[in-house]
Amino acid sequence: MYTLYIDTHFVNLVLALFKDGKLIEKEVVESNKHSEYTISLLEKLLDNNNLKVDNLNSILVINGPGSFTGVRIGIVVAKIIAFTKNIPVKTLSYLEAMALNFDCPVLVGIRDRNGMFVGNFNANHELVEDYVYMDNKHINNKDIKEDIEIDLMKVYEYMKDKDAINPHLLKPLYVKKIEVMKND
Amino acid sequence: MKDVYILAIESSCDETSMAIVKNGKEVISLVINTQMDIHALYGGVVPELASRMHTEAITLVLEETLKKASMKIEEIDAIAVSYAPGLTGSLIVGIEAAKTLALIYDKPLIAVNHLIGHIYANNIENDMKFPLLALIVSGGHTELVIMEDDYKFKKLGETLDDAIGEAYDKVARVIGLKYPGGPNVERLALEGNHSYNLPRPVMDDSYNFSYSGLKSAIINLTHNAKQKGEEINKADLARSFQDVAIDELVRKVDKAFRETNIKRLVVAGGVSANKYLKEQMDIVCQKYDAELLVPRLLYCTDNAAMIGAAAYPLYLQKSFSDFKLNAYSHADIC
Repeated sequence: MYTLYIDTHFVNLVLALFKDGKLIEKEVVESNKHSEYTISLLEKLLDNNNLKVDNLNSILVINGPGSFTGVRIGIVVAKIIAFTKNIPVKTLSYLEAMALNFDCPVLVGIRDRNGMFVGNFNANHELVEDYVYMDNKHINNKDIKEDIEIDLMKVYEYMKDKDAINPHLLKPLYVKKIEVMKND
Repeated sequence: MKDVYILAIESSCDETSMAIVKNGKEVISLVINTQMDIHALYGGVVPELASRMHTEAITLVLEETLKKASMKIEEIDAIAVSYAPGLTGSLIVGIEAAKTLALIYDKPLIAVNHLIGHIYANNIENDMKFPLLALIVSGGHTELVIMEDDYKFKKLGETLDDAIGEAYDKVARVIGLKYPGGPNVERLALEGNHSYNLPRPVMDDSYNFSYSGLKSAIINLTHNAKQKGEEINKADLARSFQDVAIDELVRKVDKAFRETNIKRLVVAGGVSANKYLKEQMDIVCQKYDAELLVPRLLYCTDNAAMIGAAAYPLYLQKSFSDFKLNAYSHADIC
C-alpha cells in the first residue's frame, strides 16, 4: 500500500512516500519555483522506488495556507492524479499538521511577508474557530507556535481514517481574500 | 501515416479550455469554461481570481473533454499546453496539469506559445499556405509578421505601447460600457457616425502600431466635454475610434502586401472576432487579389483547439519540453 504526500504550500517543496504505514522516502527542495521542480521530483521519487503512479493507493496533499501559486501546484497535481487514476485523495492544512505536535489547545501560525495565517486548535486537534490571517501590526499574541517541524508519521496516522474527497472538489485553502473581493 | 491525437490545454487568461485535436486539424472535442461573467463583476480580469477558478475547473474540463471525444488519455499521443504569454498564475495551472498527465501517461509534452496558437486557429478549418502575412490583434498584442513556413516567423512591426484590444477595453471604460469592452464598443459603433476628429496613431513609414495616443485623445475629449457640461455622443465616439484604430491596421497590411508581394493574410487573436476589422481586411485583400483567413468566432477567442493545432508541427519535429517547463507572462513569437 503506497501513499504519496505532496506539500507545495511554501518555500519547501516536499514529496514523500509511505509504504504500508511507514515513511520510506522524503524529498525536499527549497525553491521559489515549485512549478519547475514538482513533477521532476515526483518522477524521481517514483523511479527511486520502482513505482508508477498506478501503484499509488492514496494521496495526501497539503491544501495551504501559504503561497497561493505554490498551494495551487500541489493541488492541481493531486487533482489530476486522483481524477485520472481514480486514486483516493485526502487533504489537510499545514496548520492542522502543525497542531498534531501538541496534545493541548494550541494556536499555530505560518508567517509570510505581511502577516500570519493562524489556526486555533483544541486538544483533539479540532479547529475551534475559522482560520484567520493577521497583518503584522495586529499580531499581538505571543503564544502562537511557529516554525514547527511537522511529523509526517503523525500526519499519516491522523489522516488514515479520514474520508477521501472528490477530486473535482479538491481546492486550496487560501484564508486570505482577494483584494477586489474584500467588500463582497 | 498514423493519426496523431493531441490533448491540448489553454489557461492563459479567463478561459479554462481543453481540446483533443487530430493531426492538427480535426477538432475531436473542445471544452471552454469561461469565467467572463465573474470577472465582469469587477470590470476586468482579476488575475488571482482567474487562477483560483482554473484550479477548481481543471479536472471537470478534462473529464468533459474526454467524454465528448469518447477517448481515453491512453489513446492520446501528446499533451500540449500554452505556456506564454499570459497571466503566469493562470498559465501555471494548465502547465502543472499538462506535466502531470505527461508524467503519468508517459506522453511527450509540447509547450505552445499562445499567440502562435491564435495564428494556427486559422489552420483548423482552412489550410494555411506559405508564405503568409499574419496580423495578430488581441488584448495584449498587435503585431504583423511574415510566416515563411511552419514556425518560421519574421516580424515586420508591432505596437510601441498599447495593444489594440487594450485600447478597445479602455475606450469602453471611458464611455461607460461594460466588460468585455471590445465587443461592446464594436456593437455601439454600428449605431454611430464618424463625427469626432481623432489623431492617427503612427504617421511614420514603419510597420509599427501605437494606440496610447488615440486612447489619450478619447480620454481628454470626454473629460473636456464633461467639464463643459456637454453630452458625448457615445455611438459616434465608438465609431470614430473604431474607424481610426482599424484603419491603422489596414494601412500597415496594405503596405506589407505592396512591399512583400505575399498573397495571403491570416488574422489571429481575440480582436479577429471584430466584424468591421474582417470587412476592412477583406477589402484590402481584394485590392491585392490575396486570400484572407479569419477563424470562425469559436476559434478567434481563447480556446485549446488552436493550441492543439499549433502543437502538431512541433510534434512532427519532435520539439518536446521537459518537466521544468514554466509559465512566462511575455514571450515573443520571433
